[in-house]
Amino acid sequence: MNTRKSSFTSALFVLPYFIMFMTFLVVPLVYGVYISFHEWDLLSSDRPLVGLKNYIALFNPDSYLSSLFFEGLWNTFQFVIYSVPLLVFLGLGLALLVNSLPAKLRGYFRTFYFIPYSISVSVIAIIWLWLLDTNSGLINNYLVKMGFDPIPWLTSMPYAWISIVAATLWWTVGFNMIIFINALNEVPGDLYEASAIDGASAWQNFIHITLPSIRPIMLFVVITSTIASFNIYGQPYLMTGGGPGDSTEVLLMGIVEQAFEQRQLGSASAMAIVMALIMIVVSIIQFKVSNSTKKRGANHAE
Amino acid sequence: MSASKKWLPILFASLMVFVLAACSGGDSGDGGGSNGGDKITLWAPFSGPDGPKMKEIVDEYNDSQEDYNINLQIVPQSEYYKTVDLAVNGEKNMPEMMVMHGDQIISYANKDVLKNLGDIVGDTVEEDAYHEKGWENATVDGELYGVPLDIHPLMFYWNKDLFEEAGLDPDFPPTNREEFVEYAKKLTDKDKQQYGFVVPTLWPQQFIFPTIVSQNGGELYADGEAQFTSEPVQEALQFQLDLIQKHNVSPADVQQDGEVTLFVQGKNAMHLNGPWMMQQWEDSGINYGVAPVPQLGTEQEAVFANSHNFVIPESVSDEKVEGITDFLTYVSENGMAWAESGQAPAAKATYESDEFQEMKQQPEAAKQFDNAVFSPKVENWGQISDPLYNAINEVLLGQKDVQDALEDAQKQADERLQ
Repeated sequence: MNTRKSSFTSALFVLPYFIMFMTFLVVPLVYGVYISFHEWDLLSSDRPLVGLKNYIALFNPDSYLSSLFFEGLWNTFQFVIYSVPLLVFLGLGLALLVNSLPAKLRGYFRTFYFIPYSISVSVIAIIWLWLLDTNSGLINNYLVKMGFDPIPWLTSMPYAWISIVAATLWWTVGFNMIIFINALNEVPGDLYEASAIDGASAWQNFIHITLPSIRPIMLFVVITSTIASFNIYGQPYLMTGGGPGDSTEVLLMGIVEQAFEQRQLGSASAMAIVMALIMIVVSIIQFKVSNSTKKRGANHAE
Repeated sequence: MSASKKWLPILFASLMVFVLAACSGGDSGDGGGSNGGDKITLWAPFSGPDGPKMKEIVDEYNDSQEDYNINLQIVPQSEYYKTVDLAVNGEKNMPEMMVMHGDQIISYANKDVLKNLGDIVGDTVEEDAYHEKGWENATVDGELYGVPLDIHPLMFYWNKDLFEEAGLDPDFPPTNREEFVEYAKKLTDKDKQQYGFVVPTLWPQQFIFPTIVSQNGGELYADGEAQFTSEPVQEALQFQLDLIQKHNVSPADVQQDGEVTLFVQGKNAMHLNGPWMMQQWEDSGINYGVAPVPQLGTEQEAVFANSHNFVIPESVSDEKVEGITDFLTYVSENGMAWAESGQAPAAKATYESDEFQEMKQQPEAAKQFDNAVFSPKVENWGQISDPLYNAINEVLLGQKDVQDALEDAQKQADERLQ
């Protein structure tokens, strides 16, 4: 009786989240799968069921959809590969730096690094557009004054990727830093005391105590950063317009174009779902790789 | 402490009321005081400084009579067609009247979403009351689907101070290619990082490029096919590339909006953009002039334009249509407020009036009505022309050869047209 009552109360506590989860995630997701099996023109009331046709078109190399999808996917992959390692290691580096500051300053710097995260992407894009403008931007102005040639930051490769990754880092690295700071504070102090008695160096402390202790958090940061990077849209859309040519036209730009400019919700949904599947697979791989190294690490310790 | 506990629910409740009131505000608040007439909802994408001007017209109309009550609802430009599409898709919450860009009409007309206005126009709405080009851009396959509000062609802007410094008459902008190139060279001073005409590599090429192609006597789309490799198209691209590489009047590697930034900073002497930019020039305090686009092409005068039109969804009843035509007739005769937003209304009663002719930018836009050319009337033109604008981008950034780039674009456009 008592347990039934308490389980009822706990169910009530879950309810608000559950309702939100259903309305804003599960229902749209299922609806998206449903749409992807139809030829769904937004303006047409005739929406014939076409089965897997939208998916087959994605993998037919002659179709327009397939080039839109795979070129976008490749550009997105490039961004993920460039940004995720930097997001993780810079986040960790900043966390270590801020944590080693005197307690009085720590709070200030934590805030400074975190503030950009609370700004919207359009503002970030405008700030960086003005900084990076080839002909009138602040950075090139200084470069020219120091006797260098101006750099076309947003209109040629590889600078366009460098600029987009830099803007993204500035924008979001503070979030990873906060998570790492918390993780670092959770590491039991007596481990460091013990290693100090053994005469370990700071580097040895970091490798043998800090890193293994924050491993679960590290995995969390890697996976969330990867997912966030897959979802890149605003920075290239606003900073390079997908250029030069279409070399920074990422997958989400293609999906949004297909959905709301071509009004083809069916094929756009199919693209979105394949993209989600790819993200899930990548996350699982990351999880497995991390777990297997953990086991190996554990064996090694024994 | 107990006092604060008591206050909390009240605070929450009032917050909720506030939120709910804000949500429903769109319905009750916007109409500008109900006059008890039959309610007609109007959707418009005017979230800029043009919004209050449209509201002024609507409010004056509602005050002028008691039969109909127009309820103006503004949806931000970036969300506008998404909102329209989703309303069409859900087959509910459709407005009785919408403002729609001329180049968008074909997609909706082909899906039978819009009412054919052939019967109404000529009956209650007079054809003669508007510029003929306004009708042209609201027509698909000979059938009329919209009543024009304005036509917005590409405009030519120049910095008068820079003209004076270069020894040019600040009141006489160039009118043809020779003058344009000659002035641009005089206005360029690379030591001061100042340029005659900064060539955009992205938007607003979608207005500039078709303008030069038409001036070259060409078309981007004809006989059911893209014409990206035709001589007038190649020439238009080569001309812009020459401005950067041969005449040296533009910097290379211009990024998104780079030419706008330089114009506002007084380092770009001549600039092509839409009439909607006027407010930005006013705010920046530069001493600018505005005129019709010079003939940069080799054959004829022409200018690319788009337009705003009033359209009526298919489902709207005849009684409401009567109210709508009444409102449209009123707008055609009382459109001066819309001109104050910087646009040139397509109604003759407005653009031929003395008050209008005394304005700075608006009559310069109206002068170009006769030469206006519009987006090709083909569905998914955005998708078909996308490879062309990628090609223009790469060529003007010096990353691809003119001919190769246009041939690739043509190939991609052909695939998309199939």
